[in-house]
Amino acid sequence: SFAFLKKYIGLGQTITEETLVKPSNAIRDSLIKKNVSAEISEKLVGSLKPRLVGKKLKNFTSAETEIRGTLASELTKILTPNTSIDLLKEIYTKKSKHPNNPYVISVVGVNGVGKSTNLSKLAYWLLNNKFSVLIAACDTFRSGAVEQLKVHERHLNKLIDSSSTLNSKLKVFEQGYGNNSKVAVIAKKSIQYAKDNGFDIVLMDTAGRSHADSKLMAPLKDFALAAQPDKIIMVAEALVGTDSVLQARNFNKSFDGTGRKIDFFIISKCDTVGDLIGTMVNMVYSTGIPILFVGVGQTYTDLRTLSVEWAVNTLIG
Amino acid sequence: MVLADLGRRINGAISDITKSDVVDENAINLMLKEICNALLEADVNFRLVAKLRERIKTQISSQENITGGNKKRLIQKTVFDELVALVDCQTEAYKPKKHQTNVIMFVGLQGAGKTTTCTKLATYYQRRGYKTGMVCADTFRAGAFDQLKQNATKAKIPFFGSYTETDPVKVAKSGVDKFRKEKFEIIIVDTSGRHRQEQDLFDEMVQIGNAVNPNQTIMVLDGAIGQAAEAQSKAFKEAADFGSIILTKMDGHAKGGGAISAVAATNTPIVFIGTGEHITDFETFSPKSFISKLLGIGDIQGLMEH
Ligand SMILES: Nc1nc2c(ncn2[C@@H]2O[C@H](COP(=O)(O)OP(=O)(O)OP(=O)(O)O)[C@@H](O)[C@H]2O)c(=O)[nH]1
Ligand SMILES: Nc1nc2c(ncn2[C@@H]2O[C@H](COP(=O)(O)OP(=O)(O)OP(=O)(O)O)[C@@H](O)[C@H]2O)c(=O)[nH]1
Ligand SMILES: [Mg+2]
Ligand SMILES: [Mg+2]
Repeated sequence: SFAFLKKYIGLGQTITEETLVKPSNAIRDSLIKKNVSAEISEKLVGSLKPRLVGKKLKNFTSAETEIRGTLASELTKILTPNTSIDLLKEIYTKKSKHPNNPYVISVVGVNGVGKSTNLSKLAYWLLNNKFSVLIAACDTFRSGAVEQLKVHERHLNKLIDSSSTLNSKLKVFEQGYGNNSKVAVIAKKSIQYAKDNGFDIVLMDTAGRSHADSKLMAPLKDFALAAQPDKIIMVAEALVGTDSVLQARNFNKSFDGTGRKIDFFIISKCDTVGDLIGTMVNMVYSTGIPILFVGVGQTYTDLRTLSVEWAVNTLIG
Repeated sequence: MVLADLGRRINGAISDITKSDVVDENAINLMLKEICNALLEADVNFRLVAKLRERIKTQISSQENITGGNKKRLIQKTVFDELVALVDCQTEAYKPKKHQTNVIMFVGLQGAGKTTTCTKLATYYQRRGYKTGMVCADTFRAGAFDQLKQNATKAKIPFFGSYTETDPVKVAKSGVDKFRKEKFEIIIVDTSGRHRQEQDLFDEMVQIGNAVNPNQTIMVLDGAIGQAAEAQSKAFKEAADFGSIILTKMDGHAKGGGAISAVAATNTPIVFIGTGEHITDFETFSPKSFISKLLGIGDIQGLMEH
């Protein structure tokens, strides 16, 4: 709550730049505490000045309403996607044009953020929407990465067996472990396999990588060129601090020269941060890339569409 | 480790003030503002930054009689000491003893790097002549046992786990009992990732702890974690009473400020940092040399002397 504003803004006074300094700092700090980066918090607070300076406040409530309203509209503007995030519709459209081509989605991101887990949540969601799904094990590096997907294959097939509404076709395409050259090969082969065997969707897992390491980032380009994914989704976790800004920018940049960029974010682990959800603001603000889903747990159903209203209220509540 | 940015900003602020002719309150406030902003952007906990600002201020103003060049040195030293204090809780971590069994249990948030770090630490001790084994008590995460098994095999470390037993408490106990009987000196127990919002997962962690009775519990923290570090690490401290911290992924751009804040929140020392995905990407941690590196000075003495 912005009750602290009372301390700074007197009633009946005309607001000046001076009187706005302290409340602005206090609001900036409250945003930083919620994991919004210092730089972006500063910019958000900057939006208050043109709206408030010169105004005379009739009562305290009107100050709070004005400030809250301004911030809410700024945050809403940031978080509201300006391109469609209706992935199902896009899949239907492409499928109706090219019925024999699988729709290819890949996930990328730094180490341990939840790529493989959220990929299997996506698989479950797509099965629920009557699509058959092939999961391509393109993380050929991290120990246990292939087996991890095989466990999800087993679990999801059990769910399929006990349900009448899920599409009944899900499989993992894997060729074990190996170096980077293998990744592109598996990507291509999996698409061919999906074509030959009538899979609607290919979901490609990739290895986690540090966005600070150009040797690890460079292969993403080759991967994108080989796999030609219809959508590239970056998974980032809500736990991360201001590094989120660089993560988003560097991953997006890594596709330069392929004519591609990141299409969507999935912000994972939102269940672990309480109301400290600033990371999603950082990611979207610094790239303009929309959030497709948020991850809110470790099970298949813990994938949600982001309610912008909820997020805004959580940030300034 | 890309600490350079943070170091450069803090250094810049300090050197601005040491170059200026007048070192008045205004100049000190300016310096502090810049240092604090740099720390906030490195994810250091908000309240810690505020506290650090106050402490530096009072220490400098309490020595008003010091002037000129001495005052500048005082400022440098105060900033350095307070930064060190931020990562140094003056508490010693448990040191494993030879010729007896030392059980070390890993805990932490999902994806922090526990399983990877288990093998790094096991390798560290094995190379120092300890008979070392690892137990996979993560029966939840898909592929967890295979991950540990493949890592252990690569590093030639004996391991224990189960594909069929779903109760992590049972697996942990069987594994530790087995290695104990075989006179292993270091037994490292890996557990599932969890978070404070899920009471059941925390209860399970406590039960595993009760079953294996660790000599030391280590919390693994992602070096890129933000402001959530404080609440999460406090909750882990309360439930698992960990005695040291390992920061991972310090090879990224992140400056570890969030994770460092966990030191103050839990009064627990950082003992190692992970700097990559490979077994050898692992370093011991010392607060003074960390801050020296951060500020780009070779040694602490260096700062005192210029
Ligand atoms: N609480 C919570 N945990 C999650 C969520 N998404 C993933 N996780 C957990 O985060 C951990 C890491 O998930 P993975 O899917 O293996 O992450 P990854 O990005 O594929 O990791 P690498 O391939 O090693 O880079 C696992 O323990 C998951 O269960 C989420 O939304 N909430
Ligand atoms: N770049 C980098 N990656 C690391 C480091 N330590 C671990 N990783 C990577 O981080 C990811 C997650 O590591 P894990 O060891 O699976 O993490 P965990 O805490 O066991 O995960 P859960 O068991 O799912 O909670 C993997 O991709 C690791 O290779 C590190 O120091 N640097
Ligand atoms: Mg993965
Ligand atoms: Mg693990």
